[in-house]
Amino acid sequence: MRLMFLLLLVLGGLGWAQSPLEFSELYGRITIRGVEFSPKLQALNGKTVSMTGWMAPPLKPKLDFFVLTKVPLATCPFCSTAADWPPDIVLVIMPPGRAAEPTTRRIQVTGRLEIGIKTDEDTGFVSLVRIYADKISEAR
Amino acid sequence: MKRGLLALSTLSLALGSAWAAKIAIYPYDGASVLAGQRFDLRVEASELQGSPSTYRITLDGQPLSGFQQTSQGPGQAEWTLRDTFIRVGEHTLEVSVTDGTGESKRSAKWVARANPRLPRAPKNIILFIGDGMGWNTLNAARIIAKGFNPQNGMPSGNLEIETGYGGMATVTNSSFDSFIVDSANSASSIMTGQKVQVNALNVYPSNLKDTLAYPRIETLAEMMKRVRGASIGVVTTTFGTDATPAMVNAHTRRRSDYQGIADQYFGRGGFGIPLDVMLFGGSRDFIPQSNPGSRRKDNTDWIAESQKLGYTFVSNRTELMAAQPSDKLFGLFNLDNFPSYLDRAVWKRPEMLGSFTDMPYLWEMTQKAVETLSKNDKGFFLMVEAGMVDKYEHPLDWQRGLWDVLELDRTVQWAKNYAAQNPDTLVIVTADHAHSISVFGGYDYSKQGRQGVGVYQDAKFPTYGDRRDTNGFPLPETARGIAVGFGATPDYCETYRGREVYKDPTISDGKGGYVANPEVCKEPGAFLRVGNLDPASAQGVHTADPMPLFAFGTGSQLFNGLIDQTEIFFRMAQALGLNPYLEKP
Repeated sequence: MRLMFLLLLVLGGLGWAQSPLEFSELYGRITIRGVEFSPKLQALNGKTVSMTGWMAPPLKPKLDFFVLTKVPLATCPFCSTAADWPPDIVLVIMPPGRAAEPTTRRIQVTGRLEIGIKTDEDTGFVSLVRIYADKISEAR
Repeated sequence: MKRGLLALSTLSLALGSAWAAKIAIYPYDGASVLAGQRFDLRVEASELQGSPSTYRITLDGQPLSGFQQTSQGPGQAEWTLRDTFIRVGEHTLEVSVTDGTGESKRSAKWVARANPRLPRAPKNIILFIGDGMGWNTLNAARIIAKGFNPQNGMPSGNLEIETGYGGMATVTNSSFDSFIVDSANSASSIMTGQKVQVNALNVYPSNLKDTLAYPRIETLAEMMKRVRGASIGVVTTTFGTDATPAMVNAHTRRRSDYQGIADQYFGRGGFGIPLDVMLFGGSRDFIPQSNPGSRRKDNTDWIAESQKLGYTFVSNRTELMAAQPSDKLFGLFNLDNFPSYLDRAVWKRPEMLGSFTDMPYLWEMTQKAVETLSKNDKGFFLMVEAGMVDKYEHPLDWQRGLWDVLELDRTVQWAKNYAAQNPDTLVIVTADHAHSISVFGGYDYSKQGRQGVGVYQDAKFPTYGDRRDTNGFPLPETARGIAVGFGATPDYCETYRGREVYKDPTISDGKGGYVANPEVCKEPGAFLRVGNLDPASAQGVHTADPMPLFAFGTGSQLFNGLIDQTEIFFRMAQALGLNPYLEKP
């Protein structure tokens, strides 16, 4: 069993109400003028949510954040100049001092939701939806 | 003694050359250009001992002046002459640089070609690029579209692309720095006649750090607009700033300079020659960074700016069809790439389409582009790309890729008719590179996995066309299909079937390597194929295989035989009778 490379982080605040959130619920509409956050996403901003998805190819060696995607992905947009992220992705930020372990398995992420444009200074990665993770576990 | 001296002098010569500075000249030695085609002349010296004390640059023995001298770092010196050209004939550029160790020399020979204006010359060019559409890709698309008469085995017909042409060629390609191409440098070869580095667009190599400042070479479209006042345009199904559409007027070392490419489309940067018609996806490079989903790093809003510049702006099929543009048209139909033809026209899965349910077909965009560009009686150049062919060959999704060839074929049918009614128009259909795709048998869809593959007499005949979509194209769902594979692959699971919701064949293992997508491996009949590419590969790759070229209309007879891709540029110029040295704006 090499499942233990999955990180199990259980910090304080167990038992908080957490709202399940699906990838299909992130955006109201995607138009040529950009993406619109869905009413549900806007209502959950700042609250604890849980999402299930796949860890995208790492952006950098130290995984203090990673990208959660709806389906398993081949492309590493920062490795290949022409590749692109699908629009429905979520940036997962690890708690300070903790790093994620790479995995090909489906994972569930629980943490505080934040929405709005934000640019990571190190990588230049622009995110629209972020989860500040409290807990990451293998999805059942 | 005499022998010893000779050995000594040979040794000193060898040592001398080891110490000498290195000199690079662009345009490179052996380059052919059109007389009057603009380029940036650049000479770079490296491994200099100290600063150069003197230098001398001559063209055909005459000193050339006007160079800007720079240094990118210790031991380096560069001389740049922007926006220059040469007269018809053979030329030699000689460079001499003297540093602390002595004089270093280098020369480059160039040929500048000129074209006579023919009495019956086209003034318009419509260039179709099937991205990744090698001979085998076209062949597979024909088998699906036309098939065979099962009574006698005769083929039931050819594609529109393959019918009624005046010229036909097989095209080879290569890069400046490799014998395999990417879409950027191959497109550049078609548009400039030069060999260009992989991932570069219409520029020569250099040691510059600013990728947008690399030495530029003028494209055919830019020349047509500069010297003739023609209108120029781009239509594609990919994101607008992708490598192939960028062939028309973008200049950068790095094809991923999306923001810079978007700006050059509107005449900001490069040679400053804007496009008149743009119809494509990828709005994210044209909307301000404050809009969620934008890929820009500034707040330029080209949707708003374009309208101030006189462009009619449209954002879906309904608006496109209703538009009555004067002479400039800008259409953005998706935030990113278009979904494939099968996604848009047949399967219509919300997972694939999202909110983009009112998108134009390639033939509709092409008609509207020609309608707009042809208002200019000085001529036009239009590049139309079926860009998603390649985008789906990379992940081995041949169904999506091949049906996009059928969409291109319908578009070419319209363009052929246009050229027949407008004899001043030359239509060319070609590809920028091939993929390792091959049809090796039939497939019996009542079976699963390898059991469905029939070869030789068991291949029988495909039954595509028994059911058709609203455009009259065969549906992919049929009793007997084709068995298709790729020669160069990563690890993946094969099922011989398409799927309505796309899946990557190979996914990251999170540790820098790639594995077959377990979601595909779970499908009925799936079996693992161990890849033959570098284990760090996630998808199929471009190949060195040859490509088709078909030409229609006036000038089409110039496209013949086995030609290198750079020759497409010179023959288009020859057909136009384009002589940028003699022709004055």
